Amino acid sequence: MTENEVSDAGLSTEALTLAYRDRVVIRDLSLTVPDRRMTSILGPNGCGKSTLLKAMARLIAPAGGHVRLGGEDIGAIDTRALARRLAILPQSPKAPEGITVADLVRRGRTPWRGFLSPWTEQDANVCRQALEAVGLGELADRSIDELSGGQRQRAWIALVLAQDTSTLLLDEPTTWLDLTHQLEVLSLLQSRNRAHGTTVVCVLHDLNLAARYSDHLILLGPSGLVAVGPPGEVVTVENLDAAFGLKALVVPDPVTGCPMVVPH
Amino acid sequence: MKGWLVLISLLAGALLLSLMIGQVLMTPAMLWTGLWSGTGPGALTLRVLRGPSTLTAAGAGAVLGASGTVFQILLRNPLAAPDVMGFMSGAGLAVVAGVAFGVLLPLPLLAAAGGLLAALVVTLLSVRPNGAQSTFTLILVGIGVSFFAAAASSFLVTRMPPQEAADAQRWLVGSLSARSWQHAAQVWGIGSLLFLVLAVQVRAMALLELGDDLAAGLGVRINRARTGLICTGVLLAAAGVAVAGPVPFVALMAGPLGMRIAGVTQPGARLTAAAITGALVTVLADVVSRSLVPGLQLPVGVMTGLMGAPYLLWLLMKEAEAGEL
Ligand SMILES: Nc1ncnc2c1ncn2[C@@H]1O[C@H](COP(=O)(O)OP(=O)(O)OP(=O)(O)O)[C@@H](O)[C@H]1O
Ligand SMILES: [Mg+2]
Repeated sequence: MTENEVSDAGLSTEALTLAYRDRVVIRDLSLTVPDRRMTSILGPNGCGKSTLLKAMARLIAPAGGHVRLGGEDIGAIDTRALARRLAILPQSPKAPEGITVADLVRRGRTPWRGFLSPWTEQDANVCRQALEAVGLGELADRSIDELSGGQRQRAWIALVLAQDTSTLLLDEPTTWLDLTHQLEVLSLLQSRNRAHGTTVVCVLHDLNLAARYSDHLILLGPSGLVAVGPPGEVVTVENLDAAFGLKALVVPDPVTGCPMVVPH
Repeated sequence: MKGWLVLISLLAGALLLSLMIGQVLMTPAMLWTGLWSGTGPGALTLRVLRGPSTLTAAGAGAVLGASGTVFQILLRNPLAAPDVMGFMSGAGLAVVAGVAFGVLLPLPLLAAAGGLLAALVVTLLSVRPNGAQSTFTLILVGIGVSFFAAAASSFLVTRMPPQEAADAQRWLVGSLSARSWQHAAQVWGIGSLLFLVLAVQVRAMALLELGDDLAAGLGVRINRARTGLICTGVLLAAAGVAVAGPVPFVALMAGPLGMRIAGVTQPGARLTAAAITGALVTVLADVVSRSLVPGLQLPVGVMTGLMGAPYLLWLLMKEAEAGEL
């Protein structure tokens, strides 16, 4: 396989520059997100992780360069066609008052439904599977307001699972969750990736969890890309210093053998 | 399901009351006879005296209720409504200006133009230098525009001949006196059409309600969808203003009230519940305003104002407590 074929398969950026008005946040970034793998975007607060993720979902138009999905410029893909191929869960979404879990998840089917077409058996099945995948099958008729933080986060994930796309982008899906729930969410994304071959891209803050659950890491620093590659290559003492200004030791995780960060 | 039943029974009761109560009390039996025989006092009441204005009240209330809910869902804020945000005063101003300057356009067109213009002004004035727009700025700017349009209307009224001025003043408060079948047909016709237009947009609305980023990710062209919904919402309000004047607070109250009574949360159901509740509130307010002071017909807007102002205050206090203000 040549370099080109690899990047044609999935999501990639090409000389991508992202800016808010005159403030450039990401400059001239070219990278490839491996297809059918789990990738995490890491970096300090305000370095542009959410901005990059939004640009990958076409929520922000690039100031320069391109985002490509399957070789096509993402800006040229029809809106609904894109929504069938790529889903994004933004950072801390807010649910409408009183809405139930099932009603929320059903809205994820919109891109697949015809203009006036009724709710189908297929739609119902996908929603049920999405709810079961996140372990909320029992709580489908509960109002979102009545759920715990972890359950709520899983309801939102079920919404994007119901969208049934081959690429899934999630901005900090584990924030505000306790460690057990963080593991739960990442395991659920991992099993989705393994079972359906879904390409998953997450913005994460926990370096150790990212290293453990990801096949690929994108490490951003205050002045752009620091490193990109498999966790073993990205999580190094030098890279952590460059990205976070963090003096730390990197040792093998006693459970998995993945790199583990131990700050000094 | 039970909620819907309650709502519809309440509306049916209010409609009946509105037909019964007036200068002369009509019993349901008299109305029934009148309906089938086509003669007698019952028939006169239905056909001329109370039938048209009752239907107009229901229609105007329904379009106003739906309009308020469009903005409440879109901006995710219970304070958002065409009356609070100046679209209805804008529509009212356009109508008064049209009459004052002798512009020969149908009232619904004038009202629609005024409402849309007010919406455009509010939107433009609330854009911050950095391009961002907060719901709260939008509502505050709307309140400002509302005051301005109301003041401008009052000014125009003072320049009119006395008799015309009295009528215009009354209309500006929101009035349902002497409505004809033409008014009823107009508001129901335009209202039904706009409801169809709204029905087509309900799915986009359900996604916009989740926030712009999620909506865009789910395939909504958000600027286009939002513009479409705002225009539909403003036109609904204008349809109400054209037959009943800028009746305050119906649009603001109907949505949350209907949602609670019917026990619904989905946008389509909320809009329907708001329309029924808007009709209910307006018809009831009309009945009370006709019967409160014997021999005197208060404008319906006085009643909705008396009911709505405490609600608005309560809402503001609640929002302030929640730290939204
Ligand atoms: N809408 C916006 N307008 C202007 N500047 C913005 C906007 N959104 C983000 N920024 C700025 O762009 C930079 C990158 O923001 P971004 O949200 O991508 O950071 P992040 O890496 O996701 O941070 P965090 O870890 O805190 O979520 C920040 O300095 C931020 O202030
Ligand atoms: Mg972020």
